[in-house]
Amino acid sequence: MTIDLLASKQNPDGGWPYLRGASWTEPTVYSLLALLATGETAGAARGLRWLLGMQRSDGSFPPRAGIDESSWTTALVALLPPERLGLAAHRRAVRWLLQSTGLESTRIYRMREWLLGNARPADQEFAGWPWITGTAAWVSPTSLSILALEKEARRNPSAEISNRITEGRNFLLSRMCEEGGWNHGSVNALGYQSSPYPETTGMALAALRGVDDPKVRRAIDKALSFLGDCRSADALNWLHLGLLAHGRMPASFAPPAGLAYRTVPESSLQLLVAEAKNGRDVLWG
Amino acid sequence: MGLGQKSKMHNAITRREMLAGAAALVGAASLTSCARQQTPLVPSRVSIVRAPAYDQTLYDTVRRILDLHGIDVHGRNVVLKPNLVEFDTQTSINTNPLLVHAALEAFQARGAASVRIAEGPGHRRNTLDLADAAGYFKIVPKFEDLFVDLNLDDVTRVRPAKQFSKMEKFYLPNTALGADLLVSMPKMKTHHWVGATLSMKNLFGVVPGGIFGWPKNVLHWAGIEESIADLHAAFPRQFAIVDGIVGMQGNGPIQGVPKFAGVLVAGRDPVAVDATCCRIMRINPFRIGYLKLATGGVAAQISEANIRQSAETIAAVATPFDLIPEFQAFRLENS
Repeated sequence: MTIDLLASKQNPDGGWPYLRGASWTEPTVYSLLALLATGETAGAARGLRWLLGMQRSDGSFPPRAGIDESSWTTALVALLPPERLGLAAHRRAVRWLLQSTGLESTRIYRMREWLLGNARPADQEFAGWPWITGTAAWVSPTSLSILALEKEARRNPSAEISNRITEGRNFLLSRMCEEGGWNHGSVNALGYQSSPYPETTGMALAALRGVDDPKVRRAIDKALSFLGDCRSADALNWLHLGLLAHGRMPASFAPPAGLAYRTVPESSLQLLVAEAKNGRDVLWG
Repeated sequence: MGLGQKSKMHNAITRREMLAGAAALVGAASLTSCARQQTPLVPSRVSIVRAPAYDQTLYDTVRRILDLHGIDVHGRNVVLKPNLVEFDTQTSINTNPLLVHAALEAFQARGAASVRIAEGPGHRRNTLDLADAAGYFKIVPKFEDLFVDLNLDDVTRVRPAKQFSKMEKFYLPNTALGADLLVSMPKMKTHHWVGATLSMKNLFGVVPGGIFGWPKNVLHWAGIEESIADLHAAFPRQFAIVDGIVGMQGNGPIQGVPKFAGVLVAGRDPVAVDATCCRIMRINPFRIGYLKLATGGVAAQISEANIRQSAETIAAVATPFDLIPEFQAFRLENS
């Protein structure tokens, strides 16, 4: 999809849909990142206005209008340049991210488990981020939150941000599948090992940029093995971004013929991948 | 948090919760007693039809099933809800696309105003890629025009009528809520948390991942079986066609192994359909928590004597599905 075609998918309210229909926060942010990365700012102002109208009183963002839930999409919004989103809105989004954790990491939950005499499972040692408030932490929202906070740390470094990034990365490393890579964050169920997914593996690798750890090296090998037979545009986008983050994307790789970029996030991320391949830090800069 | 840990947490009951539960049970027992006295049991009809393979004969088989149940969808909007879970095409995770296409044509032939296919996978976000890998684009002409990703559909906030689970509200997709007939088309599979996943559990796919995330773990925290009962109650206009041609046994719903049963099981009452499927799989339906919840404590509702079987008998097609050790007590012969 070209940037012009992406711009043509913008809804009259300023946001973008996944495919068609109502505007959602996720495709709107990815579209804005793509538009801003390529210097096409015509529709960006309307998109940013739509986003600002979505911010909740706690600083978070819902997945779409009319949904009374603080969500993971706050991390995506925090990836946008603060000067474009608005400094106050950006600060409130980052503040919400810093305070958000999976339910299993909250003091109340841990106190309850302690009172019940339940030992804390190893995979609950570190705090990640949930999809929506009041639920468990998972790999995707944790990875995106780390990316947002890493970007913020470059602008406004602080111990608080650094600690949350470290904690989040430890969460990811503790949730890696035995064979390398990640699924949603469940390492095993009833003793059966879970299998990794290409999209979450790419996403987690992007969030582990600069981390030198044997587990990361194993995950990179897994990501490379996924490249061969992956036929999902979404998954290939994230494998690209994850491997590029570690300088391990094979230059000779060509996506399979006929690969379909069906949704707005897939097309937007494809544009961002192209920018990243040209050396631009689309998610990290 | 792994789902296993959640399950463990869910089983830990405080003294206060136990007292509250006991009080609720006393109340429920009184209500159930009243219900038994006042409500005559109307047997639900369930058909078991042999289907030896995924081939062209399925088109006629599904038409016969709709005939058997006198399905009238003239001028109505029908939504087919298959079970799409994973990319792996070597196993029997997903509802076979040929069966879904056969149902699509059968409902169209009966004069439905529209027949759409809709699903919101609970594990993978890239729904269309998943459908492509599962063969839907190849088998169903103009699939993309007919398909609605329920994870990303417009939604309506719904408060559960009875609220079995801890979910005080659901956001549910308008495509499913607005259907005159929602046709649940699951795969016949064992399930490592609830014993069996059939037409009722298949409704987890209507809960939008776009709002609650992937996996739809919010339903596990709220109580898996209770959430199944809530969703069942939210969709009163249903028909079920269970793909039991090749199901899954063992560590289902994802890591199990294929199991040939060679049947389609169908009916208007998903509770009766699922109870019948359990018997075919040699699982005791009275041990399945969500079936117990959905019957409102009237266990007789899912007794074999109170389900009117047509076409094949259970005995003629029953074939034991392997169960993981945690569910051995669910075996019919062990119960």
